[in-house]
Amino acid sequence: MVRQTPTEELFDVELADLPPEMRWREWMGRVEAVIFASPEPVGRETLARVVGRDCSLDLLIDDIRDELRERPYELVSVAGGWQHRTKKGFAVAIRRATGLGESDSKALSQTESLVLLCIGYFQPITRAELGQVFGKEISRDTIGHLRKRGFIAAGPRSPQPGAPYSYVTTQEFLSQFGFETLRDLPDFEKLEDAGLLSKDRLLAGDLPMSIFGSDSETSPSEDEDAV
Amino acid sequence: MTSDVEAAFLAGSALNSLDNLVRMAPAWAGSWRQRLALKGAAAAAALTGRTESEAQLRDAWYLRAPGADPGPAGNLLAAWKGLAERSPIVSPDRLRRVANLLGLRWSDSLVSLGEQFEVLAGSGQPAPLVAAAIATEAYRLRPDAGLLGWWIADLAIAARMRWPVAVPLLVTQAPGPAFRSLSDRGRDRPGGEGFERAICVALALAATDACRSAGEMAPRAARLNAATRKLRAKGAGEVIQLLLDEDCVSGTLQTKNLTRWGSRRLFERLTALEAVRELSGRASFRLYGL
Repeated sequence: MVRQTPTEELFDVELADLPPEMRWREWMGRVEAVIFASPEPVGRETLARVVGRDCSLDLLIDDIRDELRERPYELVSVAGGWQHRTKKGFAVAIRRATGLGESDSKALSQTESLVLLCIGYFQPITRAELGQVFGKEISRDTIGHLRKRGFIAAGPRSPQPGAPYSYVTTQEFLSQFGFETLRDLPDFEKLEDAGLLSKDRLLAGDLPMSIFGSDSETSPSEDEDAV
Repeated sequence: MTSDVEAAFLAGSALNSLDNLVRMAPAWAGSWRQRLALKGAAAAAALTGRTESEAQLRDAWYLRAPGADPGPAGNLLAAWKGLAERSPIVSPDRLRRVANLLGLRWSDSLVSLGEQFEVLAGSGQPAPLVAAAIATEAYRLRPDAGLLGWWIADLAIAARMRWPVAVPLLVTQAPGPAFRSLSDRGRDRPGGEGFERAICVALALAATDACRSAGEMAPRAARLNAATRKLRAKGAGEVIQLLLDEDCVSGTLQTKNLTRWGSRRLFERLTALEAVRELSGRASFRLYGL
């Protein structure tokens, strides 16, 4: 016999006594409030706690999005959850007013974003292999910085002398850059179709380095505006 | 190639042999399933345009720290390993985990796939047709979730045959000749004209392969059993059990009553007795299996 706290008893998720439209509005309000109050993307399980059992979250989110069409912020789905973010068009205004996203200490350098992109495509990959790809050694600091930002984590150990850790990208990386899954990386499908998504071929030097061209979509400041 | 009737007959007879094997539930069934899961994951990786071989998938899985992320290809292996370890039931949670492992976006429409699965597995249709129907359903809901279709089709066969644990079958044939279309140079898509026939052919081929691999495993497992009596190490029993349940065991396994060096000596002894093989072909980071 578990004693429930009074607040839990009073919280009604089903709202069976309300007419359907009002119930729907109430659920929409709850879901948006939960997402608004959270510093990181909110997953489906969390939201399911505040709406009824037979309520479709996807439809609910779509309705909220419709309402936000006129507003300067939107609900984006990232890393398996939802988050409020300002629309891209307002980046300049935000930067002008607050200086956010300019020479931010958190911004990634060109090298770091390239390394991160390379790990994204060819994970799991070790530091030595990355060095072979870029033709120069990738410093431990670069990797360390990416790890500290939570974009990469240690994966399986590579079966070479010294058993170096290989690196894999994290959910945090997906969330920060606005991807839902790894397949959303720029040109991922193209690489797949060409059969180039292969670490061996990369290390054998079969790949044109132009795929890591500077026109790739991972300019570090782009998504830093999503405050 | 074959007519529909011929394909259906082949599938039925192959499935019957496989059913007998599964019902016998030999001691090495775990290891056999894991080998098939590895093969399936390699096929799945090929389907998604990755180029990881079975050996690389093995490395990604067995050489990681406990709980670490094995990377996208390793996660494919995790999905198929999970298929081959648990009973064929689809809960929404399980679907969500698998979709995540396969690197697919989750959408609520996939929940109805689970309900459809229950209905089909309980219907009286033959197993290959159940698999074809559920794969078609997955394709209809989410044309981009091809891998999930293969995964759930294998599960559907097990559920329809009332097997206690699923066996990874169809996905191993997915890139193969079974799905080459008869009419044009394309491939049979779920829900398409020849898809049911293609599933039957693929199932026949896959079940034949599975039986053949079981035929190879059985004498090896017998040799391992014969060698067990000659072992004197304290923790040997656990290692033998792991070898029978898993695809392979790392050469530096540490358990409560077996040190790294102890397990190394044990594996050297087992290799000398020809009871296990070293699978990776390396001098270090060894992986031993049947």
